[in-house]
This record gives sequence, structure tokens and C-alpha cells, in this order.
Amino acid sequence: MIKAINAVLFCTSLAGVVGVYALKYSVEDIAADKAALERKIDIQQGELSLLQADWSYLNQPAHVAPIVARHQEALNLLPTSQEQFGRIDALPMRPAAPDTAALDALLSALDSGIDPIEQLIEAN
Amino acid sequence: MALLTYDDVTISLDGGRKRRANLTKARIRWVIAALVLVFAVVSGRLIQLGATVSDSAIEGVARDVITATRPTLLDRNGLEMAVDIRVPSLFAEPRRIVDVEEAVAKLRTVLPDLDEDWLRKRLTGDKGFVWVKRELTPAIKEKIFQLGVPGLDFVTESKRFYPSGQEAAHILGAVNIDNQGTMGIEKHMDDEDLALLQSVGLARGNALKPVDLAIDLRVQHVLYEQLVDSLSRYKAIAAAGVMMDVQTGEILALASLPDFDPNDPSTLFMDYNGVKNQRFNRITSGIYELGSTFKTVTMAGALDSGRVKITDQYDARFGVRFGRFTIDDFHGKHRVLSVPEIYKYSSNIGTIKVMQQMGKDEFRSFLSRIGFDKSVPFELPEMRQPKVPAKFSEIVAATSSFGHGLSISPLHMVRAVAAFVNDGKMVPPTLYKRSPEEARKLYDPVISSQTSQQVRYLMRLNALEGSGSRMNKYANGYRAGGKTGTAEKVVGKTYSANKTLAVFSSAFPLDNPRYAMVILVDEPQNENPQSGHTAGWNAGEITGRIVQRVAPMLGISPDFSEVLDTELVPAALR
Repeated sequence: MIKAINAVLFCTSLAGVVGVYALKYSVEDIAADKAALERKIDIQQGELSLLQADWSYLNQPAHVAPIVARHQEALNLLPTSQEQFGRIDALPMRPAAPDTAALDALLSALDSGIDPIEQLIEAN
Repeated sequence: MALLTYDDVTISLDGGRKRRANLTKARIRWVIAALVLVFAVVSGRLIQLGATVSDSAIEGVARDVITATRPTLLDRNGLEMAVDIRVPSLFAEPRRIVDVEEAVAKLRTVLPDLDEDWLRKRLTGDKGFVWVKRELTPAIKEKIFQLGVPGLDFVTESKRFYPSGQEAAHILGAVNIDNQGTMGIEKHMDDEDLALLQSVGLARGNALKPVDLAIDLRVQHVLYEQLVDSLSRYKAIAAAGVMMDVQTGEILALASLPDFDPNDPSTLFMDYNGVKNQRFNRITSGIYELGSTFKTVTMAGALDSGRVKITDQYDARFGVRFGRFTIDDFHGKHRVLSVPEIYKYSSNIGTIKVMQQMGKDEFRSFLSRIGFDKSVPFELPEMRQPKVPAKFSEIVAATSSFGHGLSISPLHMVRAVAAFVNDGKMVPPTLYKRSPEEARKLYDPVISSQTSQQVRYLMRLNALEGSGSRMNKYANGYRAGGKTGTAEKVVGKTYSANKTLAVFSSAFPLDNPRYAMVILVDEPQNENPQSGHTAGWNAGEITGRIVQRVAPMLGISPDFSEVLDTELVPAALR
């Protein structure tokens, strides 16, 4: 009876020892992985901070303005003047109904071979 | 146990059972002793491990402090104004360096600007840690790695980087190599709480929330660009400007030239055109006699006192005599002038009479009410006390009414103008974002709403018909108005006629005031032979060009309808 118990206890402790060792090594592996990942994150965060700094530098008005100045002539760029601003309420309202009489007149003029728009262009 | 001995034979009286029990007890004692010993060894080792202090300090500074980060600074639209970048710093462990000469020679191939003797001395010895060069680029780090010199290694440090370069130098300030703020808003943040956070090691990683500033980088850029332009256009020795939201007190832009590069703070101490100490912040730590632009203050005070009405007329035919001195007008009309005319023609005589009508002591107490005798509560640590005499004599009161004999900072002026147009409610300026609700709690009424209306009319009138018309030519449609000031500078002991300080304090759009601005040009010259050197020609034009550029950015659309201007005219004058 005692022998059997001893045998069982011995086996259990053996299994325990093996288990603890396996756990220890797997923990060490994971710790190494974690350290490697942390190093990688650290490097990437460093790179990211540089890229972010780059991005904000490129977006600065101080950086964009000289580019605008360089291409001012080629692209015909000028600061917006006050007269170039309009308002929605300054636009004329759409006519309530299409001007059928004018349209008929235009179409009949075109039918008879006169293009009023062409005449307008030529007159200018 | 032996009790009896008989014929050399020991007769044992103990039974076999007792003997076995004794043996077992002895064994148990040995086992306990062995276990105690083993545990003593284990706990001894634990204590030993626990007592080891790992030396993480770098030349007396904790590693955490060196790698401490600062919060990102954002402008009001979320554009970065200051960011932390992670950079490698090179250090050496001299006790691990085998061949100093080889290390020195190899290092100097990558970093040729290091002094050879200094480097040799640095790398010799038995020290565990010495800095070689801090804040390098990743490319140089890679090159040094490839040298394969033992005993050299890198620490990643946080370095402050200002993407906007010089444009917002005086707002941002600078940090030292240990990432501690030394000037500007950086120093202010440290003085507040950041230093505490860093000292307890909390300011690490991405834990810090970005800080929103009130600055609008687009407006800041336009202001800066115009000020840079003014230095060459008017051959001025210095220029400065500040723009403030009149409702919230937020500073949208603040620049002062000559300036420095916050990415290289040592440039602050460089001479400018051979003159020392020129790169200070003229908006907060420069105090000036602001000249005629001060008449806005005098008018606001006088109209608010109730003793002067906008319809009053004053005799400006003759100069005002004080003993030996006679104060006369620059653009003299020499006739009876109404209050709006005094302002429009910038009459010194008229302004003195207006001030005298108000009373010099009441005028002095009005200056206290708008905070002209104390420094402005503001985040930037660079501040200088204004110089305003505690009690006005007749003559000092007279000169003060048109801005001579007392010195205030341009920040005082912009805060006062903002209050005058914002229904008389004064709000302290700030560099941090502030909502209108928060601002309203800080409102301090300095003049009445009715006086505010009248001051707005005067400012707009001056833009339409007076010295601000050159400004209005550029800012046409944005309902801007303001007052010029051409103050003669004191050279030696007397005022100099050709060395002047040109100031323009303004606000726009005056039908619904949102922004106040003060522009300052130091010793401007004529742009061309046809132009003048008074403030309207330089500070005024700069203001106009700035308003023209920034008003659309700030959501103010041009409106040319004259009804807006006629609505500004007080009922008594219609």
C-alpha cells in the first residue's frame, strides 16, 4: 500500500519537475520575444516620431508658402482679392418657368440659318 | 541507555521500540537543520538580490529624466507647432574601450567636428558612462554601429522639434538639451506642472495629451511674412505684431522681429546687424511710448466719463502752453474741431483739451482701470513692467493723452483696443484655446457699451477719412479701422524727429468686432521718395495687407455696402 502511494507521489513530483522546467523555459522564450517586440516598437516609435515631424513640417504654411511663390508665375496664382468673393444670395433666382417664347425665337432663328450667338461672338 | 555494566557487557535497559523512536527523532532534527540551512541560503540570496541598486543614472541624471517627453503643441486647427522626436545619443563606456587611439580615429571619420584631444581625454579612464555626442541622426547612428568600436552605445533621447521654424519662435520659446523649457510657452508649461510630472517619471511614452494653443498658424504665417517684408521694404530695424480675438482673448498670432530659431536656441544671443540683445519679444517684454495710437484710449476714457460728448467741439487754433513748452499739432488744422475731427486729424491740442475736460486724475485712474500700470497677466514669462507715472502732473497728463511720457507694451494696447470694441468688456489674453463661455466669465467691463459704439465709429472713421486710409485701401470690404501712431524715439535726452516708432492699432470687422491687432515698426524709412515715413505708410499698410489675407481664413467675407458704415455713426451725429 505505502509502496504504491510512494510510487504515485514519485511520479507526480517527477511530472511536476518536468512541468516547472518546461514552464520556466517557455517563460524565458516569451520574455525574450517580448523584449524583442518592445525593442522593435521602440525603434518604430522613433521612426514614427520622425515621420510625424516630417509630415507636420511639410504641412506648415512656412513650408508651403515658398512652393506657392515658386510656381506663382507658371500657375498664375494670386491672393484672393475682395471682389472675387460672392454670396449665394447675390445670385439671381432661377426663373419660375422656362422662357418658352425666347426659346422658340432662338430655334426659329437657327432654322432660318441665323445663329444669334455666333453673331454676338463676331460682334465682339 | 546504558545503566548497568556486567562483565564488560553493557546491559541495555531500553526496549527496541524506544531505540527506534530516538533514532527517528535524531533524523528529524537533522532534516530540520538541513532545511533551515537551505532556506537561510535562499533568503540570504533574495536579500542580496533585493539590495542591489541597479545604477540607471546617466552622469548624475536619472535615465527617466533624459528620456522624458513633452506634450505635442498644436495650433487651433490641429497643426503641430512642436513635436518630440526620438533621436539616438552616443555614449561611451571608457572602461570597456580597449584601444583609445583606434576609437578616436574611427569616431572622427564619422563625427569630424569632435575635437581630437577632447575626445581622447573623454574616452580614457575608468568611468562607466560618458556622453560623446547627443542628439544625432539615425543615419549617423548606423555609421557608428558599422565602425564596430567596442564600448560605444546609444541611448534614445527625446528631442524637441519645431516644424514651423522661426515663425512662432517667441510664442514657443525653447528647451535645453535635457528637454526642459527655458523660454516662451515651453517654460510656462514647465513652471505649471510638467516639471512635476517629469520628476515623478510620469511624462513618458505617449501618456501626455497634446496641448491646444490659440495660435492660428496660417494667420501667424501671414503676420510673420508681412513683418519680414516690412524690414526690407521700410528698412526698419525691428517690427512686431500681435492679433487677438476680442471675444475670447485668444492670441491668434504674435511675432517679433528680429527673432531666433527655436530649434537652435543659441541664435537668441546672436548680434543683429552688429547690435546686441535685439532678439527679445517686443510684444510682451518691450515697452514703448506708443504715440498717437494712444488717443483711442484717451477718447474712450473721456467719452466714458460722460464729461465729453461725441458732439462736443474744441478750440484747436493755438498750441497748448506749459511753461516754456508749447504742444502743437503735426498735421495742424488750427481751427475749432469736433471730437471725431480731433481723432481723425490726430490733433494733439484737441486731445489734450478732451483729456483736461475729463480731468487728469480721472484719466490716470482710467489707465489703472484698463490695467496699464501693471504687467498683463499672460502665459509668456518674458514680461516687463510698464512705466506709467503714479500721479500725473498737468504736463505729464497732457503728453500722456497722446501717448508720450508713459511706456506700455503692445500687448497692453491690443488688450485695451479689444476691450473697447468688444462692448467695453476686457478679457485677459491667453495662448491657450478658450471657449466664449469660459471667456465670458473673465469679462471685466471697462467702458460702457455705448462708449464702445462710439469708439468703433471713430476707428472706422479714421480708416475711411483719416490716417488709416492707406490701411483701408488694402483691407477694403473688411470694415477695418484703427489709429496710427508715429512716436518720436528718445535719442540721448531729447526726442528725435527722424527716428520714430510707427504703430497701428486696429480692429476688424467693426460692424461686429472679432479681432484686434497692433503692428509696430521700429525706425521705418520712406519706401520710395513719394511716400512718407509716418505710421499710415508702413504700420498701416502692413495691417491692411494682413487683414486682406487673413479675413477670408477667419471666415469674414468682404462686404462693400455703405449701410454698414453709416450704421456705425452714433445717432447724435447722423
